[in-house]
Amino acid sequence: MANYIQKRIITGILIIVVSIVLNFTLIKLSPGDPIRVLSGQDSPSPQMQAELTAKYGLDQSVFMQFINYVGNLAKGDLGVSILSNQPVLKMIMERIGPTLLLALTTAIIALIIGTALGIYCARYRGSRFDNIVSGSSYIFDSMPNFWLGMMLIMIFSSSLGWLPTSGMVDLRTNYTGFNYYLDVFKHWLLPATTIVLVTVPYYFRIARSSIIQVMSEDFITTLRATGMSESRIFNKYVFKNAILPTITVFGINLAYIVTGVAIVEIVFSWPGMGSFMLDAIHRRDYPLLMGIYLLLSISVAIMMIIVDVIYAYLDPRILYKER
Amino acid sequence: MVFLNVKKLNVEYYTKNNSVHAVQDISFQLDQRDTIGIVGESGSGKSTLAMAILQLIPKNTGKVTGKIEMKSKRLLDLTPSEIREVRWVDIAAVFQKSMNALSPVHRVGNQLSDIYRLHEKNIPHKMLKQRIFQLLDMVNLPSHVYKAYPHELSGGMMQRVSIALGLMHNPKLLILDEATTALDVVTQTQILKELMELEEKMGLTRIMITHDLSIVASSCKKVAVMYSGQIVESGFVKDVLYNPLHPYTKSLIKSVPSLKGENRKITAIKGSIPDLSKPIEGCVFAARCPYAKEVCFQSAPENSELENNRAVKCHFVKGGEFVWEEGKQTIV
Repeated sequence: MANYIQKRIITGILIIVVSIVLNFTLIKLSPGDPIRVLSGQDSPSPQMQAELTAKYGLDQSVFMQFINYVGNLAKGDLGVSILSNQPVLKMIMERIGPTLLLALTTAIIALIIGTALGIYCARYRGSRFDNIVSGSSYIFDSMPNFWLGMMLIMIFSSSLGWLPTSGMVDLRTNYTGFNYYLDVFKHWLLPATTIVLVTVPYYFRIARSSIIQVMSEDFITTLRATGMSESRIFNKYVFKNAILPTITVFGINLAYIVTGVAIVEIVFSWPGMGSFMLDAIHRRDYPLLMGIYLLLSISVAIMMIIVDVIYAYLDPRILYKER
Repeated sequence: MVFLNVKKLNVEYYTKNNSVHAVQDISFQLDQRDTIGIVGESGSGKSTLAMAILQLIPKNTGKVTGKIEMKSKRLLDLTPSEIREVRWVDIAAVFQKSMNALSPVHRVGNQLSDIYRLHEKNIPHKMLKQRIFQLLDMVNLPSHVYKAYPHELSGGMMQRVSIALGLMHNPKLLILDEATTALDVVTQTQILKELMELEEKMGLTRIMITHDLSIVASSCKKVAVMYSGQIVESGFVKDVLYNPLHPYTKSLIKSVPSLKGENRKITAIKGSIPDLSKPIEGCVFAARCPYAKEVCFQSAPENSELENNRAVKCHFVKGGEFVWEEGKQTIV
């Protein structure tokens, strides 16, 4: 197992290194001129252009730019945003909290609800409940999340007036303690519902189909023949065999946690990474973009390692193949 | 005294548009310590018969009618909890494809202990472990199998694990459903030999479901030949396999290649098993039978009972002989 984890970590580091190189290259290759954006003019004077180019090190060779970039990274310096003139790391840190709050909670809630529904529907396959849930899973799965978000705003905020339309806190008040958390919770409720409703179908279908598949395996017949009760067969044997695909999907979902909810964040003006990243792309804020992408690749790599290790722990066949 | 009495057993599977009559009016009796081989080609209903005896046919896909009596218990009338009591204590089984007989993500020892505890709830942990090691030893497996996962064992080892699992509670009846089919002949012989020794010790009654006639010949006392859901010929192995009367038994024996003697052509049986979702008017084998006459397509043959517990379902078996042309005995 230790050997396996070590291998995974090495692979993870390689992925991060490769993604740093790719990030840099892709941004260099992308169209658009940051100098023009910086100057705020369509055709800045040559003098101004030269000044800015020198200031941001854009006059050096691409290779030197890369070396500088990596050198700064090693010092924990992700650079300074072109537009706001603030350190990128600080800007990301300010924004990542709300995103994690929204994305992590909804990922876990969707995992629990989807898997529970999947398990229940697999056990009572063909029942009316199963038909209703399976049918609506396709509806929510094909629903665009921004549209669903807007509908929820229309119903619960505009018409009924129960919940706030946007943001994470009410800026007109100055809540502290419990009232502050209650306020955040109220703001959280609608975007979270939107994300949960569109992600539950994934977990639901994965759980349902893998349970149905495991239930038809030969060893289930053996266990039945031994006189084991259906509930024991299910709780001990079916569950552990059927949960593996769910973990894979959960891992993939977690890997994209930082950007996965971007659209919903924009719809609800949630102060997270979503709108922040789109802004950076629009305005060609290279240092900021590279910082966000780096963060993304690191989170993908870490999640992959974690999921692989959980997987190996649950399914002994994986370690066997590695040997 | 009759130990197992199967009488007029019928199994019907329901599909969306029709129903398949997989086992039709099967009756046979077994005494204690009897061994019976049930042979037939794929799709003849052998495994369904085993599943019916084990009460493993799901209620929503199939219906079992008739009578299965074990000693004085009517198995088909038991409640679900009574069935669970009977399982593995009275009737145990070794299934085909033993590689998949256990959960791939739990250790072998864990699963064996778990199943053992089902019927002996209060056994202390230490004794349980001892008992499992004893079982592994009985089927000639090393003790490290206890901690192994199923994928770490070979096919032969998994087969032994399955047999150990089946013999765990000293069952009275053991059903082997193609249990050795996937193994090479050396391992197969070894396992059969071990099994027969254990059987001798434990006083087991065994039902062996297979399509391999040599296994039946070498390890069973009785045999029943199944074709499309019916037993067409049954009796003692020495009668049925050495002097077959039913044309199907004859062709089945002829389709086995022989290692001895001159090269002889293997004759396959032409055609395939009939569609069981439609009722068959005459004899079930008529369509493929080289001896079929008009009468075979019109009426189903009676089950003629001969001496020595032998029974044959064929129009041309009269007085213990196969008489095809009037007055003349035909030898195939």
